[in-house]
Order: sequence, then structure tokens, then C-alpha cells
Amino acid sequence: MRLNLKIWRQAGPGAAGRLEDYTASDVSSDMSFLEMLDVVNDSLVRQGKDAIAFDSDCREGICGMCSLVINGVPHGPDRGTTVCQLHLRRFKEGDTITVEPWRARAFPVIKDLVVDRSAFDRIIIAGGYVSVNCGGAPDGNAILIPKEISETAMDSAACIGCGACVAACKNASAHLFMSAKISHLSLLPQGQVERYRRVVAMIEQADADGFGSCSNEGECEAVCPKEISISNIARMTREYVRAMLVAGK
Amino acid sequence: MRLDAKEPSGPIASKWDRHQFEMKLVNPANKRKYTIIVVGTGLAGASAAASLGELGYNVLNFCIQDSPRRAHSIAAQGGINAAKNYQNDGDSVYRLFYDTVKGGDYRSRESNVHRLAQLSVNIIDQCVAQGVPFAREYGGLLDNRSFGGAQVSRTFYARGQTGQQLLLGAYQSLMRQVHARTVRLFARREMLDLVVINGKARGITTRNLVTGEIERHVGDAVILATGGYGTAYYLSTNAVNSNVTASWRAHKRGALFANPCFTQIHPTCIPVSGDHQSKLTLMSESLRNDGRVWVPKKQRDTRPPEQIPEAERDYYLERKYPSFGNLVPRDVASRNAKQACDDGRGVGDSGLSVYLDFKDAIERLGPDAIKEKYGNLFHMYQKITDENPYKVPMRIYPAMHYTMGGLWVDYNLMSTIAGLHVLGEANFSDHGANRLGASALMQGLADGYFVIPYTIGHYLAGESLPKVTTDHDAFKESADRVQKQVNQLLSIKGSRGIREIHRALGRIMWDDVGMARTEESLKRALAAIPKLREDFWHNVSVPGTPDNLNQSLEYAGRVADYLEFAELLALDALDRSESCGGHFREESQTPDGEALRDDANYSYVAAWEFKGVGKEPELHKEPLNFEEVHPTQRSYK
Amino acid sequence: MTTRVRVFSSSVGTKLLIGITGLALFLYLVLHIGGNLMVFLGRDVFNQYSHMLLSNPLIPVIEIGLVLIFLLHVYKTITMFLGNRKARPIPYEQKKYAGAPSRKTLASSTMILSGLWLLVFVIIHVSTFKYGTEYEAPGTGIRDLYRLELENFSNPLTVGFYVLSMLVVGSHLRHGVASAFQSLGATHPRWTPRLLVAGKVAAAVIAGLFMAIAVWAYATGARS
Repeated sequence: MRLNLKIWRQAGPGAAGRLEDYTASDVSSDMSFLEMLDVVNDSLVRQGKDAIAFDSDCREGICGMCSLVINGVPHGPDRGTTVCQLHLRRFKEGDTITVEPWRARAFPVIKDLVVDRSAFDRIIIAGGYVSVNCGGAPDGNAILIPKEISETAMDSAACIGCGACVAACKNASAHLFMSAKISHLSLLPQGQVERYRRVVAMIEQADADGFGSCSNEGECEAVCPKEISISNIARMTREYVRAMLVAGK
Repeated sequence: MRLDAKEPSGPIASKWDRHQFEMKLVNPANKRKYTIIVVGTGLAGASAAASLGELGYNVLNFCIQDSPRRAHSIAAQGGINAAKNYQNDGDSVYRLFYDTVKGGDYRSRESNVHRLAQLSVNIIDQCVAQGVPFAREYGGLLDNRSFGGAQVSRTFYARGQTGQQLLLGAYQSLMRQVHARTVRLFARREMLDLVVINGKARGITTRNLVTGEIERHVGDAVILATGGYGTAYYLSTNAVNSNVTASWRAHKRGALFANPCFTQIHPTCIPVSGDHQSKLTLMSESLRNDGRVWVPKKQRDTRPPEQIPEAERDYYLERKYPSFGNLVPRDVASRNAKQACDDGRGVGDSGLSVYLDFKDAIERLGPDAIKEKYGNLFHMYQKITDENPYKVPMRIYPAMHYTMGGLWVDYNLMSTIAGLHVLGEANFSDHGANRLGASALMQGLADGYFVIPYTIGHYLAGESLPKVTTDHDAFKESADRVQKQVNQLLSIKGSRGIREIHRALGRIMWDDVGMARTEESLKRALAAIPKLREDFWHNVSVPGTPDNLNQSLEYAGRVADYLEFAELLALDALDRSESCGGHFREESQTPDGEALRDDANYSYVAAWEFKGVGKEPELHKEPLNFEEVHPTQRSYK
Repeated sequence: MTTRVRVFSSSVGTKLLIGITGLALFLYLVLHIGGNLMVFLGRDVFNQYSHMLLSNPLIPVIEIGLVLIFLLHVYKTITMFLGNRKARPIPYEQKKYAGAPSRKTLASSTMILSGLWLLVFVIIHVSTFKYGTEYEAPGTGIRDLYRLELENFSNPLTVGFYVLSMLVVGSHLRHGVASAFQSLGATHPRWTPRLLVAGKVAAAVIAGLFMAIAVWAYATGARS
């Protein structure tokens, strides 16, 4: 099949970018979207032209590296899917597809479709962990955890940190990402000790990094490859209120 | 060079305890005076960097991705083994040790494996304490599942995302140390050389992948945790950026490379669908707990699976291996799938796949139970193939997955270069010729959380390490060498695509150095690889400039290393004229087609010394002694 | 105290404040429409009711509170809006609705516009009625708000403006009511879906009733 592409090209962080036209001819509907970009790049490389820079790694939907806005939707049209798992059978012969990077002040473009997501690391650095040193842990079965609690925590912990939530949000808010980690740890007994300190520190860090606030539209949930629910955001708010009231943080 | 594995003496069960006591210690106040470079942020790298940071060392941690959380450990699905015996089904440290040595087909070092089995228990405790949401039973206890190559349930899991959850646990511990300023993080950096001063590893040279700057980093010891070399086969289940570059460049600086021919083909992958494919997707072999593997009895049977009656199906694993059935080790399952397809009984358009059928399990347990256990895997399968595995049997085929070989290390995980330690998949030590399922996560974390924190202290306390700076001649020479290669790659300006050459290499490797190897095929590969390398250096096109993000340049550098490394892999396979584990030489098989080991001649670790590109490397042998688990022909019948 | 202040200026604290003030204003609207419905019971009942309300000594205090809540709501939403715009300095060339389960609607994405409209509306509305002509209801000595209302709505342009403004109210509440609960952290697997529906129903009912009053007043005024 043949597809027309409009791809964002930007030489560097400060440079102005624009959409450029490319054609993917002779691609197969079994290909993944990224394999189609590989084909386009291979032909650019053979001509000695600079390849289109885009991030990808595991190509099985778990590393969270791939990050493209396709036709105005982060990770493209399929629910619960990263770009690397989007296949061309989802498109029709002759379709025109627009490809853009994540756009947010906190995710500056490095080149073309590649952005800097270190702000997410900084949010975790602020407190997204349980402070246990290696060596002194009690037996794994010493604390019983109800199956439902552990499953709910796992639902939140499934976040792959891709940043699609930020990309989809009209406010470029990181609330879904943060709340997934806050929920995961606040649900489990192991996360209780630092529960209040954590929620305040992570929210302050996200605000400092220039992410927006949340307007409860739920675009983030709709594009999340792991279908993480915005009920996590509500849980984060409850944690925050508790931190204020109970702990006086 | 004599290889000294530095195994502690005494009975196997007390070797590690004794060694822990005998090792030298670094005074707590002095730890921050030592700088340790950790390359890689997967399970091994992140856990090492975090625990060394916790001890107070000054750690510099590097990764090629934009965040440490993206390392390929994240993709491990099935689980992590530990000899907890929570199921009361007869498991023990000794049994895990025994299973691992046997599963590795008697090509691993007993003392290392026993330590691994011992530490497995602590890993689970540590991960639970970090908040890893392992699967639980209704009573709140940790749940287990069984896995290939074992008859006990000892695998801990977090849905089909165990690697992700363990990695995030390690990543979070690492981030905590970044917060505490004991660890400094260097993302989007690629290690392109090791700096050796007076015989000791003292630093690395990296390329900043964003600015293109060649950077020098100095330390008192270097830890490589840079993963395996599966992408030498182009198509593999590894991430597309996984590479051998860091290991290979350390090898070129003097670290011996051990058992490169020990590669693992994973039996339950989604079959190749066309030439365009960039990677293969693995599905956890836990699927084999409930799925039944079969092919039609008739050759070239093109009927759809539901029209093939039971009597005309060959459940070949259950037939040939009644006691292990569908749960035989990976190498056995893979080879049998290949045999069925070679025999013309493969299914799918290409004839290169076999069925993995959940019909019986769905009838027995109900679709909801199957969904709870394997929902994400079924979802992934359907995404990729456009087929619904709840309705039609899955199709699977083996794919390159894991590499047991790696840089040679002694019991302290130190390579043949003093101060250069190698952890996780990047080293060769614990899995012998074949790794059992759910053991890679265990090894990566054991190395990082519980081994290196002790052994690095032993090294640092026992060495005199005069202060050096990045102005040292060795750093300059290294940076020049890296810069020269960058310039060289950009100056070829040929007409062949980088991927095209990588794919050609992969084809050679899969066809001639793949699941079944012969002297003839290996010699064919050894003749073809140097030609391809020649072609690369004359005709490849690497566009762009060196001073910014240039993914073509990164990729070309990695392929260049593979074109050298692949030759060593084939040479090692040729040298090892026996079949063992994942290494199957057709010349060496039992009458019924099982791998036939040759313990009299090959009970050694083959450690290769680099002598120059295109020059014959020198083989050093570390003999393997089995005092506990006496080698027998592996049998899963 | 400084930490408390910082807490309310954070992105989550901002949401909390907007949610609380929004819900308070919603509650006020419910009371407001409840009272306004008295108009259907005739001049005397309506005037009696409004007199009873206005003569209550607590009313000025409540009014000040209401104004403060309103101003806080306006202030927090406007500053949040400006902050959110800064979070994405370079817009997408193409951006589309992501599909279910997203709750994004035209109403949700125009909250700032509907809000600003309502700010202007409220100023006009208060000056028209609260500070409008002080008619005296014949023979009672109390204020004749009934007459004021009929007079005001005798102008079709005013009726049009009110109907339009009530559509805007409906739009604002359509997202706002359920959103406020989410902002306050109130979610429940079974109740949240019902709340989402209830929010939309409440928005339609309140806006509809206010509109009905305006149209009824126009029709009644024209008849008499």
C-alpha cells in the first residue's frame, strides 16, 4: 500500500520546525507504523539524507520510548496501544497521516519527533519510591496483602511512563502519570511510611517543571496505552487532602 | 593467561558465606571517596547503581535511552524464580541450584550458580519491600506459577509484566539515590570505549547522543551491565537499540569474551510475517502452562486448525516428553518446533510456525480465568497478528531471545581487566549453555543487589588506585579513537543502508549459526561475515553530522561492532564441536535427535582474547568441575 | 501558614479550590432556581418569598460569602487557564478528540469562555435585579420584584440574552458538576458513571427552568 505522510521535522531544540511531506510507497498492511517509518528512513539514508529522528526501543509496547502523535492523537487511533503496536492495517490506501512529537513545555523537542522526557524522572526523583535500603527487607510473606489491593496497585503500577497523557491533555498536565505512581505506592502497606511526604513532593516537582493542571476531561485515560484510569487522579487528590489535614504538610 | 575464577574453597553451601567474611571491606567514611561507573540501567545496572549509592559510593550511571526506566529488562514477562518453597512442594536452594546447573546443560560454574540460588530468596523480600505488586493469593500470600525446566512452582510474577515491575522497583531505588546525590545519572549516553590505565579499568569514553560530544568519565572501577547480543541476529526479541558495543569495546581493550555461541532461542514467539519486520515479539513461556503445542500429523496440511480432528494432531511435546510435556526447557521446545517445520508440518502461510492451543484450558477453566492469567499476552498477540487466540489457536515460532555468553568474569564478577566488573546478561557466568525461564531476572538482580556491593568493596580495598584525571594520555587516546571512528563512519558516504547490512548479517547468523549448526554452515558464515564487514566499511551510507542527535550514526556504530563480534560467535560455535543447551551441533546428537554433550573434551568455558580485527583470537579455557551435580545426559522424558 | 498557602497554589490545590467553590455556586444555583420557581405561584407569593429572604439579617453575610466564593472561583480558574496555556507553548498542527472513555466535549473545552460569559452575565444580572428599580408592591410596603421581572423580560432582546446565557450556564454545568466531584477526589466504580449522567441532567434541568421563567415572564407580560 501507499501512504502520504506529513512529518514534523525540526533540526534541534531551539530551531523552528515544520511539517514535511513524505511518501511511504510499497509498504505492507502487516507492518507496524514504526516499521513503515524505518522503510522511509532507509530510503533517506541510502540517498545520504538525514533520517527522521524518532524514539523507539522494545517495540512491544512496554518500554514507553515511542512517542508519536498520529493524526492528532497520541499513539494513534487504537485504544490501549503504543505506536510500536499500531499496524498499517488500521489505515487505508492513499491515506494522509500527520506525525508530530509530544508537545509540552516540560517535554522540549530534541530533534524531529524526539522529545526530552527527563521531567518524568525528576517527578520520581522527588519521591516516587519506597525508601528501603537493600539488605534489611523482611520476608516477602511477612505482610499479607489482600489480592484486590495488590491487583488495584498493579493496575496503577502498569504505567510505562511514555508521556502520552501529557501529550493528549490540553493543559499538558502530568496528573495521570504522577497519580499512577502515587496510587500504586499509597495502596500498598510498604508505601505507607512516606505516603504524605511523597504526594506533596511529587506534585510540587511536576508544577515546578511546567506541567499544567487538570481539567478532568480524561483525554489522558483515553490515549493511555495501559488504560490507566483517571480515578487515580482522584485518589491522588484524596492523598493530597489527607497530607494537608492529617500530616499538616 | 591463566583464568583464575577465584572460587572460594569449602563445601558448596558455605562458599558464599565464607567468602563474604573473607572479603576486604571499605570503611563507611571512605566509600564516598570512590567513584564507580555503572553502564546500563536494566535490572543489573539499576540495582547495582542503587545499592552502591545506598552504601555511600559516588556512582555515575549511564544509559542510552532517555530514561533508566526503559532498559530492556522491562520487557520480561513471565516471572522471577526464587527458592522460597512457599508452595510446600519440595523446593529448596539446593533444588534451584541443581535445576539451574542441569538446565544449563553442565556448562556453568557450580559455585556461581549456588550463590545465585541462595540469593534468590533475598531478592523477593527486597522487591516486596520496594512495593513491587507481585501476584497474590486470596489469603494475601505471594502466588507462584510453574515454569519450563522445573517441577516445582517457584516463579513469582506480576501479571505478564514481571520484568517491568522489577525494573521499576530498581529504577525507583535508583531515583532515590539520585535524590540523595550519591548517583549521578547520564541518560542518552553511549559508552564507546573503556579506558584502561596500568592494567586497571579507570574510566569510559561516551558519546552524548544529544549533542554528539565525546565525553570522558573517570572512576575507580567500572561496571558493565549492558545486556546481551541477541540483535546480532537482526531479528530477535531484544529491543531494537540493544547492542554488543559496550561489551565488545571492552573486549577489544583486553576483557576476554566467554562462550559467545551459547545463545538462546525462545520457543514461544509470534512468527515472522514478512521481510519488513524489525523485531520479533516474545510471549511469556508461562503460556505453555495451559497451552498445548501441536502440528498436523500430515505434512503440508493446509486445513484451518479447527477442521483438523484430534486424531490427526500431533501434540509432539506431550508425546515425546511425557513427564515434562509442554514444559520442557526452551532449547528442547525450540528445536522440536524447528524439526516439525523442517519436516513440512509447520502451519501458517510461511509454514514456519506451530500451534499453541488454549481450547482445552478455556473449556476447563473458563475464558475469564484464562483472561486473568494471560489477558495482556492474548491482547498483544491479537494486535500483531489480527487473529483472536480465544477462538483460533495461537501460532508460535522460536526466535533469538537471550545470550548466555558474555564477558568472562570470576566469582567476584570481575573480568580479566582489573576493576572491570560485568553483571547480568552481559556476563557469561550463571546459565551455562541454556538459561531456564524466569532466571534472567533473578541473575540480574542477584548480581546488582547482593553480589557486587560486596565484591566491589573487596576490589577497591585491595588495590592501590592512584588518582587520575581525564587529562591522562589514556583518556585522550581513547577519545581520539572514538572520534576517529565517528568521522570514518560519516565519511564513507556509500549507497547501502545500515539496516540492509544488519539484516544481511542477521540472515547469515540465523541460517548458519542459528538453532542447528554444522561445521559446514559455520565455515560458510565465517567466510561470509568478513566480506559483509568489508562491504560495510566501503559502501555503507551514514548521513548527517556528528554534532547532534544522529540515530543513523549510533546504529552504524553498533552494526560495525556486530560485524566483528559475529565472527567470534561463529568461531566459538565451530570450536565447540558438541551439542549442549542452546548450542546444537548436528554432528553431535543422540540417535533420537537429542543434544549430545561431549564432557570429555568440552567441559570448559571458552574465553577468547582479542588479537585484532580479522585476526584469529586466542582461546583460553577455564575447566569446569562438577562436585555436586554430576553431569548426566539431560532427559525431560 | 505559608505551606498551606503553597498547598492551595499547587496544581492539585487549585483544582480543589475550583471544585469546592464550583460546587458551592452550584448549590446556590439550586436554591436560586427553587426560589425563582415561586414566580409561577403569582405575584403575592413571589414577593412575600423574596421579602422574607431579603429581610433575613443573615443574608448580607451570606451574600458577601457568595461574592468571595464567586471571585475566588473566577480568580483560580483564570490563573489556572493562563498557567495551562504556558504548559504548551507550541500548539499541535493537528489535534483530535481521543475518543471514549474521554469526557471531553465542546462544553468541557470551552469552560473558560462559558465562565467569562457568565462573569459578565452575573454583573448585568445583579445590577438589573438586586440594584434595579425599587418598586413597591401595592398595599404591602414590600418590594415588587415580580413587576421588575415582568418589565425586564418584556424586551425580547433581554429574553434572548437570558436564554442564551442559560444555555451557557447549562454548558458550564454539564462539565462542571461532575468535574467538581472528580476534583475533590470523589470517585467510585459504581457511582461515578451515575454521577456523570446526573451532572448532565442537573445542568439541563437548571438551565431549562431558568429559561422557562424568562420565556414565561415575556409571555405573561405581553398578555397583561
